[in-house]
Amino acid sequence: MQPDKAIKTEAMQIDKAPSMGFADRLRVMRESQFGAFVPVLLALVAIWLYFGITEPVFLSPRNFYNLFMQSAVVGTIAVGITVVLLLGDIDLSAAATAGVAAALMAVLVTNVGLWGPVACIIAIFVGIIMGTTQGLLIAYIGIPSFVVTLAGNLGFQGLMLKILGIHGAINMRDPFVRGITTVTFPPFVGWILAAVFVVGFMYVSLRRQARRRASGLELDSSASLYGGIIFFSLLAFAAVWTLNSYRGVPLLVVLLIGMTALLSWVTTSTPFGRMLFAVGGNPESARRVGISVQRMRVAAFGLVGMMAAIGGIVGASRYASVSFNAFAGGPLLLEAIGAAVIGGTSLFGGRGSVWNAILGALVIGSLGNGLDLSGASAADKLMFSGAILLLAVAIDALSRSKEGASR
Amino acid sequence: MADRADKAVGPSAPPTTPHLVCRGVKKRFGGVEALRGVDFEVRRGEVMALVGDNGAGKSTLMKAIAGAYLADDGEFFLDGEPVTITTPFDAADLGIQIVYQDLALCENLDVAANMYLGTEPVQEGWHFLPRILRPLDDLLMEKKALAAIDRLKVRTLQSVRGKVGGLSGGQRQAIAIARAVGADSTVVLLDEPTAALGVAQTEQVLDVVRTLRDAGHAIVYISHNMADVFDISDRITVLRHGGNVAIYETAETTTDEIVVAMTRGLDKGANNAA
Repeated sequence: MQPDKAIKTEAMQIDKAPSMGFADRLRVMRESQFGAFVPVLLALVAIWLYFGITEPVFLSPRNFYNLFMQSAVVGTIAVGITVVLLLGDIDLSAAATAGVAAALMAVLVTNVGLWGPVACIIAIFVGIIMGTTQGLLIAYIGIPSFVVTLAGNLGFQGLMLKILGIHGAINMRDPFVRGITTVTFPPFVGWILAAVFVVGFMYVSLRRQARRRASGLELDSSASLYGGIIFFSLLAFAAVWTLNSYRGVPLLVVLLIGMTALLSWVTTSTPFGRMLFAVGGNPESARRVGISVQRMRVAAFGLVGMMAAIGGIVGASRYASVSFNAFAGGPLLLEAIGAAVIGGTSLFGGRGSVWNAILGALVIGSLGNGLDLSGASAADKLMFSGAILLLAVAIDALSRSKEGASR
Repeated sequence: MADRADKAVGPSAPPTTPHLVCRGVKKRFGGVEALRGVDFEVRRGEVMALVGDNGAGKSTLMKAIAGAYLADDGEFFLDGEPVTITTPFDAADLGIQIVYQDLALCENLDVAANMYLGTEPVQEGWHFLPRILRPLDDLLMEKKALAAIDRLKVRTLQSVRGKVGGLSGGQRQAIAIARAVGADSTVVLLDEPTAALGVAQTEQVLDVVRTLRDAGHAIVYISHNMADVFDISDRITVLRHGGNVAIYETAETTTDEIVVAMTRGLDKGANNAA
């Protein structure tokens, strides 16, 4: 399959089956480094093409700008939810947590008169505490995460209403908070960011390959190495070009990519992430090698609490107000879980990636945006979103049963 | 027991003194006396089969040695030194590793990740981060995993970067064994390693066990499969009803003799006959 593989040690003979079925190919592809991107990326491209043809305005830079901004709240929370999904748990309280954090931040800024950044930090801290508390209940009392977070969802919704007071909504005019979603970079800064990204990506990929070669290890195929570099370079410059043709690269997009990159690194390249995947894949074997399953649970729910709080702040900034319906009462929770699952993160634990949650959020955002543009009714939108979610979970379940059968 | 200890056993004539010795191990679960004072020993460079009918106490003894159960009574010696084994970590520190029947591998992780689960090496530097957030040293893990698999001569494994979920039963068993051996162990306890495997896969696992034995490990091999036991073992310890029946030299006994010992014991006073 790859000429470079011949360098491997003698004991590693390649006896790959010559003919693989389509499902096997799909599974092998999904297991490769960037391969898990492919299905959701294809779905995204298909949606963009469809709406691009039926509603040409869909592909305008202005619409893309709005699409990215609209998807940011869902994406942020979906990234957090991905972390608990990796453990095989679920968090139904994420949207309510986001609502509490946003309400608290809004009250601290407008009623107490606290400086914006301080209010945000307090809100994020409270989000972490809320998540951690639920994690402690799940890990040490042994209540299923479904039940704890369902109770948490109700309780936090009430808490949010209490914080908001009788009016049920607080307007956000704080320049710092608003700035999170209104600041855009001048075009040249966007180009510099893209260039830095591309050079950084190339450096990391090529250095990794060089070190593998130096150690005599199995190499990534040149096609996937250079293909990956070219693909992500094109993607970065195309995105910057599109955003620059409207208002420039938004600060929010850079923040979101930065946070996701950090969480991606933590979940894939550190002992913490390895333990997370191990607990999600086989809790018993994780326990036997000395991993504290309980502590991993608490940490994961702390992380989802943090990401939900950040999502709440982004939402408050984006909508310029904090209202019950924008967070707890609306479809935010299901869209966030849907985004994580559409991104290919397994509901059964142990498989997934935080990057895919962003792509999943874009899929859901694009669907909503495109259907809005084509004048579809709320009924159509709901049914469409439901069908897409079902499709994503069906693909997950199918690829899982394939794995079980491939012994 | 003493008269047997001075015989050279196995093809490579290993040292005749036992490496691990257990004396008078007792374990009671409520009203059930699972182990009634069992003696056991294994030398370096030999495969000691541990056989017995269901409920004979094989697994209980093995778990007591591995620290998964705390023995109610009994002494453990490693190279003649008395040692205490109360937790799995005590056993691991002493170089005693157990490979459970269910293997305990994570199917969603690759081979190298499974082999270093819980003991992942991290890159130098990064001291400002807590250990669990430092970058993993993937290359070192892969190199060590390849070396460990090379040592066991597992030839069918394509790559240590493949997910364990895609491997055959024999390959998984080999990886579980490689993981146990990778942790500087001298005693390897194998619980029914071939129970779920076909002929070719079984042969592959037995090859791995032979390689380990030739490298000087002390191997305890639990199995119900008499063909495998006679194929691989140097000596056979037979347990019955939580007590010793006898220790046999594999070369000097027959399947029938072992089966009789397992099911009926020796003549009167069968327990602790050896």
